[in-house]
Order: sequence, then C-alpha cells, then structure tokens
Amino acid sequence: LQVDLWQPSSPLHIVEGAVADVRVPQNTTRSLLPFLQKENIQYTVLISDLQQAIENQTGGRSHRNRRSLSGYNYEVYHSLEEIEDWMYYLNRTYSDLVHMFSVGKSYEGRPLYVLKLGKRSRPYKKAVWIDCGIHAREWIGPAFCQWFVKEALQTHQTDPDMRKMLTQLYFYIMPVFNVDGYHFSWTHDRFWRKTRSKNMRFHCHGVDANRNWKVKWCDEGASLHPCDDTYCGPFPESEPEVKAVAHFLRKHRKQIKAYLSFHAYAQMLLYPYSYKYATIPNFNCVESAAYNAVNALQSAYGVRYRYGPASSTLYVSSGSSMDWAYKNGIPYAFAFELRDTGHFGFLLPEMLIKPTCTETMLAVKNITLHLLKKCH
Amino acid sequence: ELSPSHFPATRAAAAALGYLRYLRGGPGRGLELRELRRARRQDIDDVGHKYYLELELEDVLDKDRTVNCTAEVLYHLGSKTSAPDVQVTVQGELRSTEEADKEFYNRIRSLEKELVAENIPDSHGNVPPELEPIHLLAWVASGYVIWQNSTENTKFHLAQVKHVKQVKRSDEDLQFDFVVLLHEMVSQEVLPWEVTLLWHPQRGAQVSQ
Repeated sequence: LQVDLWQPSSPLHIVEGAVADVRVPQNTTRSLLPFLQKENIQYTVLISDLQQAIENQTGGRSHRNRRSLSGYNYEVYHSLEEIEDWMYYLNRTYSDLVHMFSVGKSYEGRPLYVLKLGKRSRPYKKAVWIDCGIHAREWIGPAFCQWFVKEALQTHQTDPDMRKMLTQLYFYIMPVFNVDGYHFSWTHDRFWRKTRSKNMRFHCHGVDANRNWKVKWCDEGASLHPCDDTYCGPFPESEPEVKAVAHFLRKHRKQIKAYLSFHAYAQMLLYPYSYKYATIPNFNCVESAAYNAVNALQSAYGVRYRYGPASSTLYVSSGSSMDWAYKNGIPYAFAFELRDTGHFGFLLPEMLIKPTCTETMLAVKNITLHLLKKCH
Repeated sequence: ELSPSHFPATRAAAAALGYLRYLRGGPGRGLELRELRRARRQDIDDVGHKYYLELELEDVLDKDRTVNCTAEVLYHLGSKTSAPDVQVTVQGELRSTEEADKEFYNRIRSLEKELVAENIPDSHGNVPPELEPIHLLAWVASGYVIWQNSTENTKFHLAQVKHVKQVKRSDEDLQFDFVVLLHEMVSQEVLPWEVTLLWHPQRGAQVSQ
C-alpha cells in the first residue's frame, strides 16, 4: 500500500501523536481506511475529490477559450461580459442561423441584447420568445438560455425535432433580461433581485422587473414600497428594460406564438393567471402542454415539477411578464421556476447546471412541438 | 382536503420541516422534503387553522431511501407574535449518526483556533466537504428560526450561511454563532438572522436565547 505524503515533508518526521496528510487514489481508500480503523488511527477526509477541487480552483473561468462553440464552458456561470462576448462570437460565426440585435438600453446604459435563432427558410415564420434572468440572483436562468442556444446550434442537423423547430420557427432568446441587476449580483450582492434604477425619495434601488408590466399593475402580490423586493415601480413599464421588451413583443405580437420566461427556484411550470384565480380561455391546450412538458422533463432524471396556474401554484402576483404576454395575444405564456426546491435555492452548484438544463430542454422542446401542432 | 401542489399546503410543510430539522437535524443529518403527499386543513373556531400533512423526507447524506412522516401545524388566530404549534411523527427509523456526530464533536473540540467561516455555499453553490457538517448545523439553527417565524403567508428557506463563528465554552457543548440569510418566498426578501446554536452529540441542539 503506497501513499503520497503531503505532510510532513519527510517520513522521518512522522512521530506518534503528530498529524500526517496523505493523498491516495480513490480505490485505495477501500484498503486504507479499514486499516486505519483497525489500528485505531484517527483520520479525517480533508478533500474527497482532488480532481474536482483543482478544477474548481483553476478550471471554468480561466478556460477563456471562446474560439469555438465547444470551447465555451456551458457548465459554469458566466459574467455579463462573458455572455456578451459569447453572443458576439455566435453572431459572427453562425451568421446563417444567429442574428444578434438590441431592443434598447438598460437603466445604467447597457445594451439589451437578443439573439434571433432559426433558418432563413421562408419569408414569414412564427416565433417563440424566451427570456432568462428577469431576476438578477436566479443565475441558472441565463445558464439555461445559453444552453438552449448551444443545443440548437449543435443538434439542428442531427436531431429531427430541433431541425423542425429551427426550420419552422424563429426563436428570440434574451439570455440576460436584467443586465444591471445581474452585473450587480456578481459584483456586490449575490441575492439582488430587482433592477438598479434609483429611487427619488428613498435610499433604495430597483424595481421588481416581474411586477412592472401593464397588466393589473400593482394590485395584489406586489408592493408600492421602493425598498421592497416586489416593488412594482412608480408606474407600469417605468423600467427601461421592461419598456424595451414590451415594445418589441407588442410590435411582433402577431408573429410570436409562445412566451417562455425562466426563473428560479421552485421546480414549477406556471401559466396564467398570476394576478387572479381564474381559468384561461384556452385552458385545455395550455394545461395539456404543461402536463406533457413536465412529464418529458421528469423522464430525464426523475425530477418532479409541479404545474398549474401561477396564482394557485406559487402565489398571487400582479404586473408579471407572463400575464402581460398572454393578455397581448400570445396563446402560450409560461414561466418556468427551475431547480431546486430550497436545498441550494439561488446558489445552485455549477455541477447541477448540466442536468437542470438537460431536463429543461426536454420540456421546452415538448412545448414547442405542441405549439406546432396547432392546439391554440 | 388541500392540493399538495398549491401553496397553502406547501407553506405549512416548510414550517413543519423547519421544526423537524431543529428537532432531529445535526452535523451528520440533513432532512429535506422529497414530496408532500397529502394535506388537509381544519379551521378551528376561535383558535386558528390546523394543517394535517403527510410528508416524504430524505436525509441528504442517505439519499437512497426515504422516510415518511406526519405533521400537524396549528397557526394561531390573529397572532403575529406566536410561533405555530408543530407536532411531527416520523414513521420508522432515521439513519444513526452516532459515529459521525462523535467524530465531528472531537474534531471541533480539538481545533486550536475557533472555527470561523463564511458564505456557505459560496456564490457558485460550492461547499467545501469539511464544512458540510457546519452547513447542516446551520440548517438546524435556521430550522428553529423558520419554525418560530412562519405564518400562513410565509415560506422560508435557508439561502446561505453568511457567517459562522465557533465560541469555545467551559462546559461540554459546542457553540456556534451564525448569521444566516433566510429567503422568504412570498415577499421575496432575503433577510439576515443572528442565531446561536448549542450542540452536543448526546443532548442534541438548542438555540440559545
């Protein structure tokens, strides 16, 4: 049995009562640990997976290989700058499928980028809108948006469903809706939720970008107090981010047939209404789409999502983007609350990005294909 | 009868889970809710609302099996200051943590300098393995706070351990002063709470007032 001695520097310095640190390959622990127990030598496992610890320290972020789609690491969280560089890269490299544009500017002057994905196969195509990161601290959202784009670009030639989706539809993907808030959650406060607009009277910043839409604005489930995390804002669409996206969606309302917004956490697939307890007119269609999507999601790793109208499943809230999109004539409006259910909450570990995105892809593809089957 | 997928039942379940973590959690045991199976609500005149819950739990250190449990959560009428009354009955045995508890206790007692740590998990969700028992003790401490502060209009989760400091004691208990961040789902606020936890392998956990 051989061990790699990390401490002390030489076996000569190992004396009774002193601490020794050793590294062994994983499979050696099967013989080492029982041996130590038998000899009554106390031990503690300091690092259970050295490879992982090294990767955490040096991997991910320093692998800035953005030269190829496969070089970008989709299993780590990326800063706003990295995401923007990534979008520029895709725009240059996949110009037949990707078109990057801006719908406006944030409060702090940052561009609001959207990717238009799809084959230019015919002059008029219906579209699906996907946004992530309305709430700054929900990092798994933007991670999913990036994953979706990657999957679309990598599999549209080999996967018949993805091929169908990119041929028959356009996808508008907004990887980070709340750019100012997202940046702030990286630099100052990991649990920041709102935008970063300044308030005239109070020392508090920001508006809840999912309470600022013009649909039963600031009724139940939203707050009029600027310091609250569900602050609805001074008036509907007061936030330039909300106003810019609302303007775009209004302009394209005839083209856009589905609105999907990604949040975290709760493991839910929600549809309207949030602002009241009532059944939507196309309930049968939407409910069956949700049911099928949740089952598709579960088929990946057995993870269960609850689904239903937002008001009864999550809570009543007013001024949400989902309700607004639905009111504006988009027949399928959904809000996803991704993993988990509170164990890590907003701090979902990077190693769970891949399974979360993989299962969520199944749900999104399912909804999209359901949409193409003309049940509206 | 309530739908387990609707929020009134899930809020009561979160309160029950907080209580249960305080009662049965430890550095070697972290109880998580796998599923809320059934829920009923009873409105008791002049008293309050009582929820009857059937929960399926798992130990995060023993994920291959689950344990069933029933809970009763009574929210007192009109009271803003009193905690809900919670009773839980765990059906069957929870995995024994005697050895892990003893090992943890000895490890902390033999530290030369008092343990100090912060941001558990970190921004990217990482928890160093040697801090996992402290993380689980934070669940115990925050479980108490969550139970004490739950109402029918709140749903708390532990968002992060902002700071933990061990305080050496002359008696046999371990003492940890925590600053925990609790995420309240309905208001969406993330609020810091200070809570001091005493723990002993045989006597279990106690929040120090």
